Amino acid sequence: MSATLLAPSVEGRTGPAGWDHADASPTADHALIDIRDLWRVYHLGSVTVEALRGVSLQVHQGEFVAIVGPSGSGKSTLMNIIGCLDRPSAGSYVLAGTSVEGLSDDELARLRSREIGFVFQSYNLLARTSATDNVATPLLYQGVGRRERIERSRAALTELGLGERLDHLPSELSGGQQQRVAIARALVTNPSIILADEPTGNLDTASGVEVMARFHALHRQGRTIVLITHDHEVAAQAPRQVHVRDGQLV
Amino acid sequence: MSASELVRLALSRLAASRMRALLTMLGIIIGVGSVVALVAVGQGATAGISANLQSLGTNLLTVNAGASTSGFTRGAFGSATTLTVDDAAALAELDGVAALAPELSTSALVTAGDANETASIVGTNEDYARVRNYTVWQGSFLNGVSVDAGLRVAVIGSDTATNLGLGASDVGSDIRIAGIPFQLVGILQPKGTSGAASNDDIVLVPITAVQHYFNATDSVRSIAISVATSEQMDTVKAQATTLLRERHAIASGSSDDFTIADQAQLLESVDSISSLLTILLAGIASISLVVGGIGIMNIMLVSVRERTREIGIRKAIGARGRDILAQFLVEALTLSVIGGLIGVFLGVAVSMVVGQVAGWGFQFQPMTVLMAVGFSLLVGVVFGVWPARQAARLDPIVALRYE
Repeated sequence: MSATLLAPSVEGRTGPAGWDHADASPTADHALIDIRDLWRVYHLGSVTVEALRGVSLQVHQGEFVAIVGPSGSGKSTLMNIIGCLDRPSAGSYVLAGTSVEGLSDDELARLRSREIGFVFQSYNLLARTSATDNVATPLLYQGVGRRERIERSRAALTELGLGERLDHLPSELSGGQQQRVAIARALVTNPSIILADEPTGNLDTASGVEVMARFHALHRQGRTIVLITHDHEVAAQAPRQVHVRDGQLV
Repeated sequence: MSASELVRLALSRLAASRMRALLTMLGIIIGVGSVVALVAVGQGATAGISANLQSLGTNLLTVNAGASTSGFTRGAFGSATTLTVDDAAALAELDGVAALAPELSTSALVTAGDANETASIVGTNEDYARVRNYTVWQGSFLNGVSVDAGLRVAVIGSDTATNLGLGASDVGSDIRIAGIPFQLVGILQPKGTSGAASNDDIVLVPITAVQHYFNATDSVRSIAISVATSEQMDTVKAQATTLLRERHAIASGSSDDFTIADQAQLLESVDSISSLLTILLAGIASISLVVGGIGIMNIMLVSVRERTREIGIRKAIGARGRDILAQFLVEALTLSVIGGLIGVFLGVAVSMVVGQVAGWGFQFQPMTVLMAVGFSLLVGVVFGVWPARQAARLDPIVALRYE
């Protein structure tokens, strides 16, 4: 169970009925993330801020990419767009064969639910909710039945070495353990991409090392990982690094 | 997400903050409770008053002197002296009249030994007991002989007996009505009435005696007619009207100088007044239901603000706007429906106690309960939608950054 759960199985995945999969099969030619000349412009009153200015980026199946840049460089904006939380102002973004252009909020949420697993700096677990229920929540929004949710959630937590902490609340776990619960939550839906935003930012060195080891293990299993960080030491661990400065890749 | 998933989510959320949930529900509990209780009490009171009216006599027609205007108001009631003892005698001959009793009332000071009270003196005949549903407890009722002869005899109600300190052994002794001695021949059974006017504080004497000693006239204030069967009520009423118009020589087109009220009319008007009161009370109570709904909305808005980050997380991990909308709406609904059920329980309990104390018993009204629960559901939807929409519309990026 757990082996298949965490193995990369993009070929075996079936999207919700009705989803157009004509171009979804990832091949060498089709990048999993295909961003071309992407702009993101904010209008704050009379001021116009260009957070991203013509970014192009391709990430292929099985890659481990670090997006590095100082704060204010636009890397968070880029992460929000990759994670389907935000939309580009101009340019195209095709995620696993689906263009985000013209998608409604609900369609964007479905795409996010299917393709993206988020890991945040501040863990962002639901308070007063057990580790098992936290990890099971993304499956709730995919319409998975309760029994299967609990089963898959427990398997994912066990896989991350939290088999003894299934019923603990986030407040009863250490930072490193909470981040591992968050990773289990990102993995449980078997998404195309793990999108990690400063995942070691709130952790002490030892926990940080452990969490990074998890990412390396996932990469070896064939997972696609996009890591956003301002920390060059962390970024250096990724096989491929992309630098962002002033809204452009350098 | 299925409904059961949503309810499970809502219940676990409410269980996590029980005190707040209870306080939020309080408005709905009080609103629904008071609607249920007031409607039940109103209906109980109506039933009580109706039963009370029934006890005045069945199939009763009352002919009153005086012109009728419209509705409940009568012109010159009691002041007219158009009904006479002869009218009563003529009415008694009609088909379908089982018994008939003229009433000529006055009030006077009644004295028995050292005790005295001002009582209602009713001059009538021997049929009065039958027409008005009285039974004699001690002694005997007025009889034909005493009525025809205008003897100074009196029958008193149970309350009057108590007030004057008279008991079974006093039957046969004298009491004084306005200083004139009357022989006490009987004491009536209490009618067991509850409510406004007592039927047990009464002194009955022959109508001829009243005419002779108090009102030197042959006119009567009213005539009570007991109709043999309820089917004959309308016929007797019509015949009585025709007869009296003839006897009083009223030209066609002119209005009656008397009114005939039947029990059904009286019951109807009592019913309509009390249901009006019930609706009024329920309406006032519904205001508190609306206030309770606003309380729920208030707490849900606070809750959306407090849980902004949670909403952001849920959206990031795949929740659509409608999932969030459903979650918050079901939470508001759960609050209002649980509050509504507690309110129904309390309202039923209160109306049972009131019914017990007031003596009209308790009638369970499933319709009221259904309406109360339905109304609290409606309150939940109306006041839950806005906060839920606020939650659903949150931008996940902003929500995730919210501290």
